[in-house]
Amino acid sequence: MAGESILMNAGFRSFGGVLGTLHEFHLKASYNWNSMGQLQISCNWGSVSILPEELRLSLAARAVFGLLLFAAMALLPGPAKAQETPYFVTYSHRLEEPGNLELEFSSTYAAQRGGNDFVAPWLEIEYGATGWWTTEIYIDSQHTLGDGALFTGWRWENRFRPLMHEHWINPVLYVEYEDVNGADKTMIEVVGFDGEADHAVRNAVASREHLHEIETKLILSSDFKGWNISENFIAEKNLAHAPWEFGYAVAASRPLRLAATARPCNFCRENIVAGVEMYGGLGTTDSATLSGTSHYLAPMVAWQMPSGVTLRVSPGWGLTHPSHRFLLRWGVTYEISGFGGKVRKLFR
Amino acid sequence: MTRRAIPLLLLLASVGFAAAGADGQQSNGDDRGVLRAIAEAPVETREWVNPYEDQADAIAAGKKLYLRHCAECHGRDARGSGRAVNLRSPGVQNAAPGELVWFLRSGNLWRGMPSWSGMPVERRWQIVTYLKTLR
Repeated sequence: MAGESILMNAGFRSFGGVLGTLHEFHLKASYNWNSMGQLQISCNWGSVSILPEELRLSLAARAVFGLLLFAAMALLPGPAKAQETPYFVTYSHRLEEPGNLELEFSSTYAAQRGGNDFVAPWLEIEYGATGWWTTEIYIDSQHTLGDGALFTGWRWENRFRPLMHEHWINPVLYVEYEDVNGADKTMIEVVGFDGEADHAVRNAVASREHLHEIETKLILSSDFKGWNISENFIAEKNLAHAPWEFGYAVAASRPLRLAATARPCNFCRENIVAGVEMYGGLGTTDSATLSGTSHYLAPMVAWQMPSGVTLRVSPGWGLTHPSHRFLLRWGVTYEISGFGGKVRKLFR
Repeated sequence: MTRRAIPLLLLLASVGFAAAGADGQQSNGDDRGVLRAIAEAPVETREWVNPYEDQADAIAAGKKLYLRHCAECHGRDARGSGRAVNLRSPGVQNAAPGELVWFLRSGNLWRGMPSWSGMPVERRWQIVTYLKTLR
């Protein structure tokens, strides 16, 4: 009996980011009898971008979708306890409050020389396991103009505060496992000799490279007179016999108004935090140097609404030749207070 | 394949541990841990003067901040819950305002009280000003 018979063919569609890309996932299982009379069973799965061909959503339509999603999140009831910094790359010592779940959709747009510009959206799911431990999952994707879109991997991050009280300088230990491919362009950190040229490779070629990496950070952070000042020292190791790569990130931020006003307000200075961050690579164990490394300077502003939604945007500029000339990052965060307790109640 | 499975297994284990983590640190309304933590405040914090004492605007602002940041755990009426202490209790109400401001900054991470150092000190004073009206 020749011919393929389908056992299962399922699929679903998903947005890869607020203003990002639309993907169709498919799972197909089938069997057939070959010419030798043998039964062959096959199974395949994957994802394809259907945005350009099938939907042809204009940028305006995507912007409308993003605004609607943002408005829906802003109107959701329930206060949140967020005291987030506005940074995209730098970490402060502020951890997620215990039992809170934070969802974040962020994207990086980069202008690319020698290739096409791209947007790299990622989803973060962050949970405050305890007062001293925050754990977080990332799902990365990217859409390169004229080269399609793909999911590029996932990360699992953990941050620990070893000291139980507040000090002038507060250390946090950071450990992350990354399972990403070479087409990942989120640039959540810049280490070693990461540069613009890495992102000029076509997706079909870059995605063949699979990276299993451990990333560690020493986070030092201080709060003083309304300012937060944070410094991160990054060491990243590809588990496939590559040297350690180093990087840094430093940042400062402050609310536009320190004291709260008596009246409830959404768009007011006390809910807006402005800051600036600088980050880049510091070479590797084989070549610890600034020569040939990328560095960026990025001001940012965050609008923290009482509903628990935070909107952030940050233009960034490359400071050295290997850097992208221009980056634009944006993100929407929604914090669900008491999420852990609500889930536990379901199982009691 | 085995090497790739290790992080996934660790992730699953930590999800279970994390789900139980916050619960394991519940104070169940027992104020003693918090009182001990407040007692760790430096002596000089007892002398700190509340810049907003009895100011109506500060009380209103403090209530707004309390409802936004604290009520989820301590309750809208500040009487506490299984997770957090009763802020109307004598132990809290008899503490000096400076001690409470210090405690808000420091937190008690081991028992699940986050550090609010990211909140400007002006707002911490406003919250304490409000809490002192609950006596």
